[in-house]
Amino acid sequence: MLFFLARRIGVMLVTAFCLTFVVFYLTNIPAKLETLAKTQAGSRISDAEVASWLDRNGYNQPMLVRYGEWLGVARGWTHAADDGAQSGRCYILSGTTEPGAAPARCGLIQGYWGNSTRFRAPVSEVIGARLGATGMLMLWVLIVMVPMALVVGVLAGMREGSRTDRTLSTFAIASTATPEYVSGVVFIALLASSTVGLSPLLVSWGWIEGPVLFQGNARSALDNITFWNFALPVMTVALYGMGYVARITRASMTEVMTQQYVRTARLKGVSFPNIVLRHALRNALIAPFTVIMLQIPWLLNGVVIVEVLFSYPGFGWTLFEAAANNDIELLLAASVVAVLVVLITQLISDIGYVYLNPRIRVT
Amino acid sequence: MTKDSSNGLHQGVRGYARECKDGKLSRREFLTRATALGVAAPAAYGLLGLAAPQATAQTAQMGGSMRIQMAIKAQRDPRTWDWSELSNVCRGWLEYLVSYERDGTVQPVLLESWEANADATAYTLKIRPGVTWNNGDPFTASDVAHNIERWCDASVEGNSMAGRMSALSEDGKLRDGAVEVVDDLTVQLNLSRPDIAIIVNMTDYPAAVVHPSFTGDDPIAEPIGTGPYRPVSYDTGIGAVIERNPDHTWWNEGNGAYLDRVEFIDLGTDPAAWIAAAEGGEIDLTYQTTGDFIDIFEAIGMPSSQAITANTLAVRFNQESAPYDNVNVRRALQMAVNNALVLELGYNELGVVAENHHVCPIHPEYAELPAPTVDPARAAEMIAEAGLADHEFELISIDDTWQAASCDSVAAQIRGAGINIKRTILPGATFWNDWLNYPFSSTEWAHRPLGVQVLDLAYRSGVAWNESAFSDSEFDTLLDQASGITNADERRDVMKRLQEIMQEEGVAIIPFWRSIYRNLRPNILNAEMHPSFEIRYQHYALS
Repeated sequence: MLFFLARRIGVMLVTAFCLTFVVFYLTNIPAKLETLAKTQAGSRISDAEVASWLDRNGYNQPMLVRYGEWLGVARGWTHAADDGAQSGRCYILSGTTEPGAAPARCGLIQGYWGNSTRFRAPVSEVIGARLGATGMLMLWVLIVMVPMALVVGVLAGMREGSRTDRTLSTFAIASTATPEYVSGVVFIALLASSTVGLSPLLVSWGWIEGPVLFQGNARSALDNITFWNFALPVMTVALYGMGYVARITRASMTEVMTQQYVRTARLKGVSFPNIVLRHALRNALIAPFTVIMLQIPWLLNGVVIVEVLFSYPGFGWTLFEAAANNDIELLLAASVVAVLVVLITQLISDIGYVYLNPRIRVT
Repeated sequence: MTKDSSNGLHQGVRGYARECKDGKLSRREFLTRATALGVAAPAAYGLLGLAAPQATAQTAQMGGSMRIQMAIKAQRDPRTWDWSELSNVCRGWLEYLVSYERDGTVQPVLLESWEANADATAYTLKIRPGVTWNNGDPFTASDVAHNIERWCDASVEGNSMAGRMSALSEDGKLRDGAVEVVDDLTVQLNLSRPDIAIIVNMTDYPAAVVHPSFTGDDPIAEPIGTGPYRPVSYDTGIGAVIERNPDHTWWNEGNGAYLDRVEFIDLGTDPAAWIAAAEGGEIDLTYQTTGDFIDIFEAIGMPSSQAITANTLAVRFNQESAPYDNVNVRRALQMAVNNALVLELGYNELGVVAENHHVCPIHPEYAELPAPTVDPARAAEMIAEAGLADHEFELISIDDTWQAASCDSVAAQIRGAGINIKRTILPGATFWNDWLNYPFSSTEWAHRPLGVQVLDLAYRSGVAWNESAFSDSEFDTLLDQASGITNADERRDVMKRLQEIMQEEGVAIIPFWRSIYRNLRPNILNAEMHPSFEIRYQHYALS
């Protein structure tokens, strides 16, 4: 077990190292640095001003050296101003200008995640706040999606080919085949517009007070989550994932229902609900469990569209903003977080197997 | 000082008033010019025999809050602001010496009045007495001098005020003796050349007046200013919250600061998201609405407010890159394009047709020229004569709706004349990397109160934003001359020649002057669209 954990953590570190290097390389090609200088010092500055800005802010060193700075193995750049004040990576990160007061190295190893150029704040703060927002979204998506998917999958899979199966399968396939950018827009038009869809009808019948039933924008959910401002983004994400998990559950369920022990139970005269709940369900849940665990990293990175569509500033939205503004250190930190989340959820699903199926051992 | 001895008016102003009454000068032009020369707006209206319009403050209620849709960008040193959004957040505490109004007048804010001498080479600024900073310090002449010195410092990357203050600076710094502090409330500006734009330049959004203690890049952290509000929070990309400052007595107490709280919300660049937010009751006012969305907002109960402006799209040639170094090629491409069609297809006819030079009819010194000829057949001939019959031209634009649509219309007309042209649309993140150097591309230019201002910024030889690489000594000399003429007709004569040079040299296709719009809830007062996108929430109120 310990060896297994150590190996997993080793894989995690190597993956994070490779991924961050690729991200670092791509965000540090000269044209990208020029974009950065222009977003930072003024979109209409001249080439000479770009060069001077890059020089003053430590971007003019070889790429490998700068990657080393970020990791914390190379010494941070320094720049002495005319008035004797020192500036440099470590001076900025530790908030001092006095020569010699800052540490020589200040990267990931020393615990410095750097500063976001887009948000002008420490990366750890930005990522922390945004992960929290996405966490709330993910929590509600999982609360809606998992029970719905399991119920639909089990109901469809317990009698293969029946009318219930066909109806529910059609629904599951339709929901998973509709991309979020389609369902999100349809939901907004249908439920959150005062001119088209359901809301004008409901208003004319006097059933709702405000102009719209649901809010088509989830910004206010950042301070205060209500059913009305959070339902649409949650439903948009949940519906897409739900169909997929339901399909896997159904496949797994139909397979279990053909097993000999299920037939034996039926011949013994056990009632059908009892067979489904006590004999079939636990075995049928192994495959959906993996898929649900896989949905978590997908939710984290795949909510970009939904978060941008509903202007909900979470992790996906932060990735979008960081990429659009070439925010190097924020993108690096986001990739580290993404790797961590993928591998941790995998670890949980590997360990979770043992409890669902005693025949599997973690070694 | 050459002043009318009887009532202290600049001698040019009476002339302007006569011209205005004779119909030679529009009221808007008169007001811009008269107030730029130091006449107070009520007096300027008085010269026309009119009463100054009264603000609707009577019905304004104290209290309430307002939510405004606007992009929230990372803050930096005010003099380096490159987006008016940056200034709008800070307007509640960082005020300006003077302000540009919707009706074309320049109004005093932290100044009480100003006067120019006859040839516009010396200005006397009178500072408003009784103004204090919100940390208790009095606002004095040395604060003004300090700010002008900051503006003149060209060594700061992106300091666009340096160009606006060039008549006061030397070697990228404030020239010795250019600013004299006469007494606590008087500052004398000594210009190296005549410049009629120096006061209106102080209305531009990077000219926010900061406290002498301000350094660095963050006007939010230490919000020392003279205005009635203060920031509560500022989150880039998300929003900003402003509240009335209870610990500070504003010099203009009683004439504003109605709202308790103002919230700016960044909803991204997709107007559909703004609509969704407005429907959900999450925003009360948009920063700017464009195209079809103006009607959609009106349909959901948010009327629009319009400002007529000199905002435009310069579809310019870079004269340093072949084949645009040939004036005949440039003129031929201009000749292939009917500007009225570009306005219709590119901007839904929400503006006025322009004439391929960068002076708008609402500028005081605009001279009327015959409309440019449109002759696609002759255009194709000229291209063939230049040996470019098989050449494929390329027109680059940013991926913004109306800018891309306008360029599509320009390219379609050139193609219609039988000239090969392809269109390239670049995302905003890459477009601005090289905007000065594209051979043939379009750039959005903002409104400026005087015609000479944009010419100075964009077409004078060798200036930083000269994207057309236009360099013409006659043009430069005439521009210097125009910048010193206070008399209307005289300056218009010079302007006429400047406009003609731009047309003759085929500098750019300037197709239209666009009006700009914002949408707001009907119970909001004093929040009409401003030609420079200003959001002066210290005057906004709920009824």
